[in-house]
Amino acid sequence: MTPAAALAVDGAARPDPASVAEEAAARIRRWTEGYRPHPGRADELMGADGALHGAYPRFLDRLARFDDREIAARFLSAERHIRDAGISYRVYGDKQEHPWPLGSLPLVIGAADWAELSAGIVQRAGLMERIVADIYGPGRLVADGLLPAGVVAGSPEYLRPAHGLTPPGGRWLPIYAADVGRGADGRWQVLADRTQAPSGLGYALENRMVLARAFPDLFADLHVERLPGFFQAFRSGLAAACERSDPRICLLTSGPYSSTYVEQAALARYLGFLLVEGDDLVVSNGLVHVRTIAGLKRADALWRRIDADYLDPLELRTDSRLGVPGLLEVLRRGGVVMGNMPGSGVIESAALSPYLPGIARALTGEDLRLTGPRTWWCGDAQGLAHTHDHLDALTLRPAATAVRGPERDALLAPIAFGAARERALAALRERAFDWVAQEPAALSTMPTWQDGALVARPFVMRVFAAWTPQGWRVLPSAFCRVAEREDGDPSEMRAGIRSADVWILSDTPVDTPSLVSTTPPRIRRIAGHLPARAADNLFWLGRYLERTEAVIRLVQAHLGGFGEAITADPCAAEDAPTARRIRALLKEWHCVEAADLPTAVLAQEALSGRDHYGSALNHALEARRIAASLRERLPAEAWRSLADLRDTLVFSEVFTPTEAQLRGRAERALGHLSALTGLAHENMNHGAGWRFVDMGRRIERAINTCGFAAAFCGAEATAEDLGVMLALVDSQIAYGARYLAGVSRDAVCDMGVLDPYNPRSVAYQMAAIVAHLDALPALAADGLPEPHRRHALNLAGTFQTAPAAEIDGEGLEVLAEELERLADGIAGRYFPSGAEALRPEKLTGLA
Amino acid sequence: MIYGLRHLTTYRYARTVRSARCTLRLRPRDGDGQRVLESTVAISPAPKSRLERRDFFGLDTVSLVLDAPHTTFSVEAFSRVEVERPLPPRPESGPGWEAVREAALALPSLGPDGPAHFQFRSQRVPLVPAVTDYARGSFSPGRSAYGAAVELMRRMRNDFKFDAKATTVSTPLAEAFALRAGVCQDFAHVMIAGLRGLGLPAAYVSGYLRTRPPPGRPRLRGADASHAWVALWCGQDFGWIGLDPTNDCVVQNDHIVVARGRDYGDVAPIDGIVSSAGAQKLTVEVDVIPEDEAGV
Repeated sequence: MTPAAALAVDGAARPDPASVAEEAAARIRRWTEGYRPHPGRADELMGADGALHGAYPRFLDRLARFDDREIAARFLSAERHIRDAGISYRVYGDKQEHPWPLGSLPLVIGAADWAELSAGIVQRAGLMERIVADIYGPGRLVADGLLPAGVVAGSPEYLRPAHGLTPPGGRWLPIYAADVGRGADGRWQVLADRTQAPSGLGYALENRMVLARAFPDLFADLHVERLPGFFQAFRSGLAAACERSDPRICLLTSGPYSSTYVEQAALARYLGFLLVEGDDLVVSNGLVHVRTIAGLKRADALWRRIDADYLDPLELRTDSRLGVPGLLEVLRRGGVVMGNMPGSGVIESAALSPYLPGIARALTGEDLRLTGPRTWWCGDAQGLAHTHDHLDALTLRPAATAVRGPERDALLAPIAFGAARERALAALRERAFDWVAQEPAALSTMPTWQDGALVARPFVMRVFAAWTPQGWRVLPSAFCRVAEREDGDPSEMRAGIRSADVWILSDTPVDTPSLVSTTPPRIRRIAGHLPARAADNLFWLGRYLERTEAVIRLVQAHLGGFGEAITADPCAAEDAPTARRIRALLKEWHCVEAADLPTAVLAQEALSGRDHYGSALNHALEARRIAASLRERLPAEAWRSLADLRDTLVFSEVFTPTEAQLRGRAERALGHLSALTGLAHENMNHGAGWRFVDMGRRIERAINTCGFAAAFCGAEATAEDLGVMLALVDSQIAYGARYLAGVSRDAVCDMGVLDPYNPRSVAYQMAAIVAHLDALPALAADGLPEPHRRHALNLAGTFQTAPAAEIDGEGLEVLAEELERLADGIAGRYFPSGAEALRPEKLTGLA
Repeated sequence: MIYGLRHLTTYRYARTVRSARCTLRLRPRDGDGQRVLESTVAISPAPKSRLERRDFFGLDTVSLVLDAPHTTFSVEAFSRVEVERPLPPRPESGPGWEAVREAALALPSLGPDGPAHFQFRSQRVPLVPAVTDYARGSFSPGRSAYGAAVELMRRMRNDFKFDAKATTVSTPLAEAFALRAGVCQDFAHVMIAGLRGLGLPAAYVSGYLRTRPPPGRPRLRGADASHAWVALWCGQDFGWIGLDPTNDCVVQNDHIVVARGRDYGDVAPIDGIVSSAGAQKLTVEVDVIPEDEAGV
C-alpha cells in the first residue's frame, strides 16, 4: 500500500481489500447498467455487444475507488477553480463572457488506439503542408488535374498576395489541427482540418491543469500522458525557425473581444510569448517591431490568432483595424516567422476532401490513413451528378466558407423534401460549385455523467500537431467538446456544449517530463521589454484602482467610519461645513448627481451608482475591463480580487442600506483593494510592468491628495476639516502620536502633503514616481533626463523643499494640475495613445 | 492609336502626416491589344523607400514608404500607350453562357488570367440575389454569353442613372443597385455581380476613356477622369472581352486599360495607410490626349 493510500484511510480500521473491490465493481455496474450507445454510432465506453471496451475499464476501475460524493466534490472544486481563475470564453458573435464549461468526465483513450490516430494526424499534417506550398508555389496539383482550379479559387482563404511567398523558417504550417471523431465502423475520421489559426490548445491546457488539481492521484496511477513536452517542442520549433538565437516570439491577438482571448492570454503566459495586438506592431526596415517602452524592438516570430485576411490592411482586407500595414512585404523578404502563414486557411475548404486521397497517393505514394465523411464537390460534373442522384441521403454545405451558429443548423438539416429540397435544387442550378454534398456524419459518442449514471453523448475532439526540427509532434491529449443532449452538435463551443480533458493512458508509467534544461539558457531577469500598450493599460489599472479607493475613503469620511480619534464626528449633521465640503468634492468628481441628498442615499450612489462615471463601482469596473486585457501579466488571484471588489460594490438591496451597512461595504471594498495592492507588490515581478501599475497608483494618489488638501487644509480649515484630512491620508494615529497639542493646519498639511516618511503624502508619491522613472529605460543614451523625467524631478523638488506654511489651497490646485500634466507627459513618452496619438487612417476617396 | 496619359492625385491633410505606406497601381497593362511605350511616376515628398513588384494579377505596382512629415502627398503618373484592338465579335456569336461557365471551371489554371478567379464573390462584389435575378433576364438557356452580356449592358444603360452624387467609393453594391444610380465603379460592380451570380467569370477593369471635346472647343486640362468597366471571359477562343455598362459599348480603341482584378479593391490606383490625426482632401486630375490631337 502506498503512503498516500495509507493516509487516506486516516488511521481508521483498514477496510478489507476484497470488500473495497466489490464496492467499486458495484459502483461501476450502477454507473453503466443503463448506458445505451446509439445504434449505428461508435461509442468510446461500450461496444455493440454491451461490454465496456477501450481504456474505460481501466479508468473506471480506478475512478470507482472514490465514492460518488467524493467524485462530485472533486469536480465541484474544479468548477470553483475555473470561476475563480476567470477562465472563460465567448460564443461566436456574443459579447458576454461565459465561465468555461468543463465537462465532468475526461475522454479516455488507450495508447495503441492513440498511436494509430497520431500516425494518421502526422501524415495528414505533412500532406497539408505540401498542398499549401504547392498552391502558393508551383501549382502542379492544379496543372496536373489533381485539384480543380475552382476549389482553390473559390476559397475566401485563398489569399492571392501570398502567392510566391517562401515561408521564413521554411514551413507554411508550424501548427496543424484536425477535428476528429469515429465513423460508424469505429475508425477515426477527420471531420475538418484546421490550419488558419486553430483555437483550443489553451483550453486543453486549462482543462488539464484544472483536472490535475482535482485528481492528482489518478494521473499517476493511470499513467496519463503529460502535456509539457509538447508545448516545449512547439516553442522550440518556432524558435528554431527564427534567425536570432534568443528570439522574441509574439502571440498576435485580435484583442480582449476575441471569443478566445482568455485562452490566448493563458497560452502567451504559459509559453512565454509576448501577447500583442496589431497596434503594438510596426513595420520598419523590412522587419516587424514591437512598440515597447524602450522604443522599437524586433519581433522574430508571430503566432497569429487573427484571421489572415485581417493581417495587412495594405494588401489584404483594406478595412482591417487589427493588422499591421506592410506585414506581407516583410514576409516576402523573410523578415519574420509566422505560424501559420497567411493563406494556410485555403485547405480548410470542404471541397478539398474528395481530392485528398488522390493527392496523397500522387505526392507521397501512400494511401491516406485518415479520411473524412464522403464528400462530393458540386463544381465537378460527376460530383454534381452523384449529388442529384442521392439528394435524400446527403447534406449540402458551402464548399469553402465556414458556417457557424443557427445558419449551420439550417444547412445540416436533411434536404430530402419540401422547401429544403427546392432550395437545394435552386442552389445547384447556377452556382453548383459553391456547394459540396456530404454523407451525414453520425458523430461518435462518449460517456458523461447525468444524475449519477453515465450517458452516451456526441463529441468532437480537436487534435493538434506542431512542427519541430525533429518532425511533427502530436499533443498527447486534445480539446474535446461534448454535447449535453443526445442531439447536440459539438462542432463548435456554444450553449449546451461542454469541454472535456482527454487522457491518453499509457501502458507503462510515463516519464514526468524533465523540465531541467539540457543546455543552460542565457540568464535573464526581465522577460523582455514591456510593450507600450501594456504599459498604458497597467498605468491606468493603477490609476483606476486608486480612484476607486479615493472615492471610498471620501464616502467613509462622510459616514464617520474612522472613529473619533482626533476630533468629534465632523459630519454629525448633513449640513455641517465639513460635510458640505465632502459632498462638494463628491459632486466635483462626478460620483453623485446632487450634493444635497440624504447621507445614506448619497453614500450609496457614490459607492455603487451606475449613472455617474465617478462612482467607486464604475471606477472598479473600468479597472476590471483594463485588467481583462492584461490577463497574462497579472497574478491569477488579482482577477478574483477584482471580482470580489465589484461584488462588494454592487448593492442588490431594494431599500437604501443603512449607514452601518454602507460603512461595512466600504471597509470590505478597501480590504479587497489592499489585497490587490499586496498582490502587486508581493506577486508581480518588480520589473517595468509593476512600475507602471505602481506609478499609476502613485500619480493618482498624489493628485487626489492635493485635492483633499485643497479642500480640507485651506487657510480657514476647521478642526473637523483637518480631522477628515488626517482620516483621508490614514494618519490619525500617527498624528496623535507626534503632536500632543491637538490639530494644527500646518502640521496636518505637512503630514498629508510634505512628509516624505508618510506613504500617503504627496511628497512620498513623488519620490516613488521619480524612482520608477529613473529605473525605466531611456530612449537616448546621452545621459540627459527626458522631458517627462525633468518635470517629475522638478515637482518632487517642490514637495521636498516647500514649507507647510507656504502651501495654500490655491497652490495645491496648481500642483494638482502640474501632476496631471506630468501624467500626460508620461503617457506621451511611453504609451501609444498619448494626447498626440496618431492613428493609422486609410487614404480615402476614389483616386 | 497612341495616347499620352497624365494622372495627378493629390492628398491634402489637415494635420501633418508623419509616415505613410501606400501602393500605386498606375502603370497601364501590356497585352490584349495594348502596348505601353513609356511610363513614369513622380512622387512628392520623396519616399524613403520605393519597391516595384508585379502583383498576382500581373499588374506592376509600386510600394512606397514615406517617413518625412508632410501635409501634401502627390503622385503624378505619365504614360504613352499604343492601343490597337481587333474589332469586337459579331453580335450573338461565341459559346453559350452555360458552356462558358463550365469551361471556365474546367480550365486547370490558376494563372493571373485564369477565369476561375473571377467566378466567385469578392470583398466588394457580394452575390446579391436581386442582382442575379436582374441579370438572368438576358440569359435565356443556350444564348451566347457574349450576346447576353451585351444585352445586359444595354439594359443597365437604360435602367440606371449616372449620378456622381448618388454614391461614394464605399457605397455597397446592393445599395447602388437599389438606387439604380451611381458612377462607373457602381455600374461595373453591379454588372459583375449579376454575371457572377450566374456563375460567369467577370472582371473589374480600371483605366481611362478617350473623351472628345465639343466641336470647335479646346480640350480642357485635367478634365478627364479615370474610368472602370467590365471584362467577361467568353471561352477559350474569345478570351476576355471588355464591356462598358456606363457607356453601353464594347471596349475598343477608346479605352485604355490600366489594371484588371476581381473588384475595385484589386486595382485601386492608390491605396494606403497614413498615420494622421486629421482630415484629408483628395483631388484628381486626368488627361487622356490622343497623339494626333496633341499638336492641336
